[in-house]
Amino acid sequence: MRWDYVLRVVGVLIFFFGLTMLLPIGYDFFYRDPSLWPTLTAMGITLAVGLLMVVFFRTKDNDHISQREGMAIVTLGWTAAGFFGALPFYIGGGIPQFVDAIFESVSGFTTTGSSILANIEGMSRGLLLWRSFIQWLGGMGIIVLSVAILPFLGVGGMQLYKAEVPSPVPDKLKPRIRDTAMILWKVYALISLGEVIFLMFGGMSLYDALCHTFTTMPTGGFSTKNTSIAHYNSVYIDGAIIVFMFIAGINFALHYQMLKGRPLAFWRDAECRFFIFIVFILTVVVTFNIHGRIYEGIGTAFRYAAFQVVSIVTTTGYATADYEKWPAMSQFILLFSMFLGASAGSTGGGMKCLRVMLCFKYCYRELFSMVHPKAVARVKIGGNPVPEDVLRSVLGFLALYIGLFALCSVLLSGLGVDFTTAFSAVAATLGNIGPGFGMVGPVDNFAHIPYLGKWLLIWCMLLGRLEIFTVIIFLVPEFYRK
Amino acid sequence: MKAIIVGAGEVGFQVASRFAQENKDVVVIDKDPESIRRVSDGIDVQVLHGSGASPVLLEEAGIKEAEILLAVTNSDEVNLVACMAADIISPATRKLARIRNGDFDDYHDVLREEAPHIDTVINPEIEVVKSIERLMRVPGAVDVGEFADGHFKFIGTRLESGATLSGVRLIDIVSQTEKERPLIAAIVRDDELIIPRGKDQLLPNDLVYFISKADNYLDIMALFDKQIEPIRRVLAVGGGRIGLRFARRMEEIGIHVKIIEKDPDRCLELAEELNKSVVLQGDGSDQSLLQEENIQEMDAVLTLTDDDEINILTSLLAKRMGALKTITQISKFSYFPLMATIGIDQVVSPRRSAISTILQYIRRGKVLSALTIMGEAAEVLEAEALETSDIVGKPIKNIRFPKGALIIGIMHGEDAIIPSGESVIHPGDRVIIFAHRNAVPKVERILAVKLEFF
Repeated sequence: MRWDYVLRVVGVLIFFFGLTMLLPIGYDFFYRDPSLWPTLTAMGITLAVGLLMVVFFRTKDNDHISQREGMAIVTLGWTAAGFFGALPFYIGGGIPQFVDAIFESVSGFTTTGSSILANIEGMSRGLLLWRSFIQWLGGMGIIVLSVAILPFLGVGGMQLYKAEVPSPVPDKLKPRIRDTAMILWKVYALISLGEVIFLMFGGMSLYDALCHTFTTMPTGGFSTKNTSIAHYNSVYIDGAIIVFMFIAGINFALHYQMLKGRPLAFWRDAECRFFIFIVFILTVVVTFNIHGRIYEGIGTAFRYAAFQVVSIVTTTGYATADYEKWPAMSQFILLFSMFLGASAGSTGGGMKCLRVMLCFKYCYRELFSMVHPKAVARVKIGGNPVPEDVLRSVLGFLALYIGLFALCSVLLSGLGVDFTTAFSAVAATLGNIGPGFGMVGPVDNFAHIPYLGKWLLIWCMLLGRLEIFTVIIFLVPEFYRK
Repeated sequence: MKAIIVGAGEVGFQVASRFAQENKDVVVIDKDPESIRRVSDGIDVQVLHGSGASPVLLEEAGIKEAEILLAVTNSDEVNLVACMAADIISPATRKLARIRNGDFDDYHDVLREEAPHIDTVINPEIEVVKSIERLMRVPGAVDVGEFADGHFKFIGTRLESGATLSGVRLIDIVSQTEKERPLIAAIVRDDELIIPRGKDQLLPNDLVYFISKADNYLDIMALFDKQIEPIRRVLAVGGGRIGLRFARRMEEIGIHVKIIEKDPDRCLELAEELNKSVVLQGDGSDQSLLQEENIQEMDAVLTLTDDDEINILTSLLAKRMGALKTITQISKFSYFPLMATIGIDQVVSPRRSAISTILQYIRRGKVLSALTIMGEAAEVLEAEALETSDIVGKPIKNIRFPKGALIIGIMHGEDAIIPSGESVIHPGDRVIIFAHRNAVPKVERILAVKLEFF
């Protein structure tokens, strides 16, 4: 592995990332926001570090990137983004603790939405915009954006793309990876524009609409309000956000197909059908579970059930209700939905519907072959047989996911966090959801998690966003062998 | 430009990666998941798994927007059906198919004019036999290409360590010869392609590529201390399709051929097909057999079996036993860089020939023929200078030509000219251009961009 080359590319990514700070700087400048200087300083540092890395690691330009190098670049790139993204919060004292600033920044980039802020509205509007904006960048992926915009990544871009968007069966919408990345970002930007307009119709200011779009579309979940979406207490806004969270939880390749005039694509896709079905069933069950006990009218019950279910299944993490006061069954449904996650190829996190489907089908095949020991059966999705190595990697992924979840919850509880909190905090960060249960519930925050616990959760968020393999490979000694 | 490639074998892979580097949109279809994975891991193209002969899959691949369909699977039949399906769905798409069966030789024109309208049928075996013939004709040459209907020869030759020209700077070559100086287009030194300037030296063991007029290439070869040995007797190891085709051709031009083939049944077939050639049943790497057949008296030994390793070893053995010249057939691209090191210089490859033919067809504008050297590091293109092109009507030194590209020959009417800075290209002339891989797209543009105004 050519570390100097890896660091050079990471340098380019850092520089590029520094440029994205121009958006909050523009806002700060225009509205005379107090965070102008901290953000400018942060941008200066980021650009300088990126530039120094590019100059220092001068290697022969080579357009080929190996799979190993791709994973190293993506993991280091994301770690760097988490670090530099924290600078605007930390430098001006917006978030005084360094670990908290990193936590907030990584939570943003990985579209988790867990926050350590007790009083969100106390932060300057410029920083809140940055906090929302990094979620938007992280949603479709900073690497995908770089692949789309930076021409030098050309061929090597594919390895990076695969490391950042590790869906079980990658979709390539166009023959060239650059065009694919470009299309994904265009679709993403277009739907985002739609949401801004819809939210503004509901009476939100442009600033609020923009900030909430920046956190809905990547299924992030940061809000600019202390009480999240409940602040608006509007059926229209709840509805609009449910719809856009749902859209963000669907494979973006399907959105592209629809924009190309093939609306049936959603229904033809087996995973999408499964996703729609799951969301529908869970919403109905939760509605009846909370109807009469928490909410009087069936309509109201449906409104809150749908919002919470969609928010958790798509791994967004907005809240309009304190679901910890709901009956145990609803709580369990929401807790397990955290593992399920959204569709592959969406901006959502979790295990992804496709993997869960494949796992079920694989289990069924095992049972089937117990009944018919001589049977030759293939696992199929939407009529297409799934290659055995894809199945193997999906099962490996699920095993690692559960294993890491168990390990991290034990470690976190070892740091003195109580059972429910440790359990759900790890589930919520590993699945990039946001709020959990117990001390990290929808009306609480992560500020009181012990110092080491915060670092552990930061790592969980990165693991979840890059779908485990890309990050965990750094712990495998074989990775460093020549 | 969009291209669909059916078949992800060596040819499909190489052409796809070539296109991807030139920023063309490529979709590759293959039945074998392993080959598909190799493509999708290695190059930036879209892949589809399935049979390229399936109209459904072709449609999914976007055949309707595709400019070119390349059918290069191992099966002639699949290639034909793929072209047929494409012809039905999208008649506007240009189609190239690899068809190796010799029975189709006389039907190439028919296949073009009638359904399935295959614009170019590629039979690499024909090309390979041609290049073997060229290599045999030019002694000491590693690579030989002909341009402008044979008026120019583009030759690559290796400089021996004792050669008079080794250590000489290019500008000094002129003073050493009274005849016309050779135009040296490129030097391959330690696997690196150098486009030399006047002050660069020639070093021993360099592979030197130069262009010359067809009538004086032997003089130039003599400059490089390569002597002329007329070829009269040839021994070929391997009597497959290429071996048979080659022997037939040699019978036509009156060169005596011995063919060694392992398979007794195939030997019988060969003996029936061939009249003057001697068919020998046996193992080509059997020393006593080679001895018995007087290998040291042979002007050239060809190894043409379909096993690369056997070809390489047999060639080495033949050289050791005194054969003057060996020509080796190799399919695996990863072996090419090794060949010079182990002392095998003259190599032919059906796959490389197929790629050359394909590239030549795909070059836009009026590119007439093309040759690739050193794997794919550079190309020699022949094109017609259009009246509207930027390159006509002024001295060559004033042309803004892309870096890494050279004009190495001009065919003005019946005159072949090796150009100097003062030469002027006239409309309608054929120009021969040497271009580094990175410069090819720019050269294409210079030659073709104005064409689109017609």
